[in-house]
Amino acid sequence: MTVGVGREILQNEPGARACLLGNLGIVRGALEAGVQFFSCYPGTPSSEIGDTFARIAKEAGVQFEYSVNEKIAVEVAFGASLAGARSMCAMKHLGLSYANDPISTMPYVGVEGGMVIVSAGDPAVITSPNEQDQRHFSRLLYYPIFDPATPDDAMQMTRYAFGLSETTRLPVILRPTTRVCHSNGMMTFGPLPSARNEIRFTKNPPRYVPIPVNARRMRKELTQRYRQAEELLATSEFFPRTGSGRHGIVASGVAYAYAAQVIENLGLQDEVVLQQVGAYPIPEQVLERFLASVDSVLVVEELTPVVEEWVSLSAFRQHRDIPILGKHSGHLPLEFEYTPDLVEDAIREYLHLDKRERGSVTVPDLPSRPPVLCPGCPHRTSFYLAGKVFGKKTVYCNDIGCYTLGYGDPLNACDVLLCMGSSITQASGIARMTGDRVVAYIGDSTFFHSGLPALANAVQADDNITVIILDNYITAMTGFQPSLTTPPRPARDAGRTESPAAARFSIEDAVRGLGVKDVFSVDQFDEATTLKVFKEAKAATGVSVVICHSPCAVDRRRANRDKKRPAFTIDQDLCNACSLCVRVLGCPGILVEDGQYSIDQELCDGCAVCASVCVQGAIRPAVSVKT
Amino acid sequence: MTRSSDNQPGDNRPGPRSETPVAPPSRRCGEHGRDARATEDSARVPSRQGWRVVIVGTGGQGALTAARLLCDCLVEHGHDVVSGQLHGMAQRGGSVHTSVKVDCGISPVIASGRADCVLGFEPVETARVLPLMSAKTVVYMNTAPVIPFILGQQSALKKGAGQYPDVQDLVDSIRAVTSHVFPFDATRLAQDSGSIKTMNTIMLGCLLGSGLLPRTVEEFWQTVTRVMPPALTEANAEAFSNGVEMGRKFRLDEVVR
Repeated sequence: MTVGVGREILQNEPGARACLLGNLGIVRGALEAGVQFFSCYPGTPSSEIGDTFARIAKEAGVQFEYSVNEKIAVEVAFGASLAGARSMCAMKHLGLSYANDPISTMPYVGVEGGMVIVSAGDPAVITSPNEQDQRHFSRLLYYPIFDPATPDDAMQMTRYAFGLSETTRLPVILRPTTRVCHSNGMMTFGPLPSARNEIRFTKNPPRYVPIPVNARRMRKELTQRYRQAEELLATSEFFPRTGSGRHGIVASGVAYAYAAQVIENLGLQDEVVLQQVGAYPIPEQVLERFLASVDSVLVVEELTPVVEEWVSLSAFRQHRDIPILGKHSGHLPLEFEYTPDLVEDAIREYLHLDKRERGSVTVPDLPSRPPVLCPGCPHRTSFYLAGKVFGKKTVYCNDIGCYTLGYGDPLNACDVLLCMGSSITQASGIARMTGDRVVAYIGDSTFFHSGLPALANAVQADDNITVIILDNYITAMTGFQPSLTTPPRPARDAGRTESPAAARFSIEDAVRGLGVKDVFSVDQFDEATTLKVFKEAKAATGVSVVICHSPCAVDRRRANRDKKRPAFTIDQDLCNACSLCVRVLGCPGILVEDGQYSIDQELCDGCAVCASVCVQGAIRPAVSVKT
Repeated sequence: MTRSSDNQPGDNRPGPRSETPVAPPSRRCGEHGRDARATEDSARVPSRQGWRVVIVGTGGQGALTAARLLCDCLVEHGHDVVSGQLHGMAQRGGSVHTSVKVDCGISPVIASGRADCVLGFEPVETARVLPLMSAKTVVYMNTAPVIPFILGQQSALKKGAGQYPDVQDLVDSIRAVTSHVFPFDATRLAQDSGSIKTMNTIMLGCLLGSGLLPRTVEEFWQTVTRVMPPALTEANAEAFSNGVEMGRKFRLDEVVR
């Protein structure tokens, strides 16, 4: 059974209780605040925010877009805010870094309609190349930042953040982490607003143009507005303090939920004061009151010691010479997500309680289930064929998307990886210094995200690289959001907004427009043509580009439910178990049991690549097609 | 630019250019607020209150849907539910791990040894959550393996990735922690009930039939009928009643034992 996401999120029944994903709570909070504009670039764990808006935007009267990248998402949303709209944009932590340029000046200029940037964090690098702590943006760039512990927090903070933003004219960041975004929790709906901000852009260049003469004035105002945000936060309800006693625990994010649970489970409410930090800047008076009531402190927060250092500084200013424990003291680690067990151990150590006995559970050795390219995935075919032409010695620079799974055996299509759009630029650097032709793989969505300027740069330097653009018509990795090459299709959902410009974009035209002479287009399942094209691209001088067009196998089936291609099968009389298909493709549809090869009839997508690989001719369509 | 004046009563969001900053709206959300929870007397009792259910399987087996239906039913009947999910990269065949916590606080993650019930849709995935089990944990376990394709392929390449463990060994390793383990071939029972895709419904039937949860079999099925399309409800009805029977039988066996 499969359940879809309903539109209960739009119901206007104040007081209704719901158990919703943190990301949906953020959507609800924004709707209750009267959001009028929303933009995003998908990225785990933030993607459901945009996907939900995509479904409901029309009905909710919200302007919506999947932006081309995060910098653009932020800038468009900021423009909407200057026109008076309450605006929101969503991305993952890495997206906030990509948008760092506009983000660093926006607080100077200031918003008109309240603006909230959701930047979802990924401690423990579950789906990212790094973990980072966006809370530093508060002091770095003067942002109020909200740090929810639960889905309910996420909803309430979002709702509140728009008002705070409008009052202080500061854009505000909401920083949920994976465990908040992807947990369902209880929340109570408030009313949906009957009125929203009036839309009007009033010309006022000194207010909106941060040239130095204005920026110096803005800088002074910024100090005031950041202070005002701190004062308002001091009267908010995002710093609850519970319990009593001379021991103090300060906690933020989901680590607060763990600490609260441990205190409840161990019955420590009369021994420990628990202080939540739900936002930054942490108001000085919150810390003053807390520090005055305790003789020692344990700080429980994931990632960098932001709260710990804030509390230490506050204690120093108040001449409170008390132990402040946490990461510096070694009670808790600097890296990765925390767990309830980790937090319980730290609290027990802090309170000198006995260590918790955790019986000796022995987990047997278990096989893992690493992510892998799907059966029928066109990327596998591209990697296999390009590998044949360019060979093992060529350096393959890869990029961010499903195709990163070309890493390792058997495809070995990823020697280098960094961030969105970096395959082309890294290939440039490597090719220029080694003198060898380097291959760069990049997908359609990532190419438009940040590959365009990278390609222009390679052309101007006449770099000896071949860029293979893997156009599968969709942003697959993050959950099948449309990319610029997604063809128009019947809306899956009545409220879904489809870009009227969809399919207007031609990667070929864009690439030629950037000055590339050797441009090839191919359907990579046409093996002979693809091999020929790769050879020509390899023989070219300077930048050559091959665009491989073939739809994502999973999305193709989702879009046309009834058009699953017929599966293939292995003729046991012909198969000599040479293992070639497994050695070069690594398709999860090919099963090997006790030396016998077979094809999973449910998984097989009928792409037929293994049939062409098999030198015995043992792989055939499962059902013979009448001719 | 000014804000329209016909805001709803109680909407005190500040306008963009208000002279004096107005405090943004209250975040309190009624009797279910956090403060109410923190002062509960029962919170001092070392906790066996509430229910903690873990549902694990592989991508495509319907673990997330099962958790969602459970949440819907419990919320509908006034329980506070927190449900966490972790499914890495949404690949078919990857590990899926969800938890449903009922009336026991705000943490989305179940601490080690604190699961009351585990629904294991797949043997290896069931064993993977052994650290969450204690002697009190009840485990309903599908014995039909989903073998990671990588094992067969790597053995073909003589890369020694190891073998899929013996299912009986996995059952034994769980039994070493808790005696309340009920292994059975839920995939075959699902096939016999109409479709392999009803395996998650079989397992939910087990859980409801066991009487471990605070809601009845009938209450749960009413929720399913309400939230699922009629055709799906019908296609899963037999699987559900077969699962319920299985759950009841196991509980009965245990009482006898």
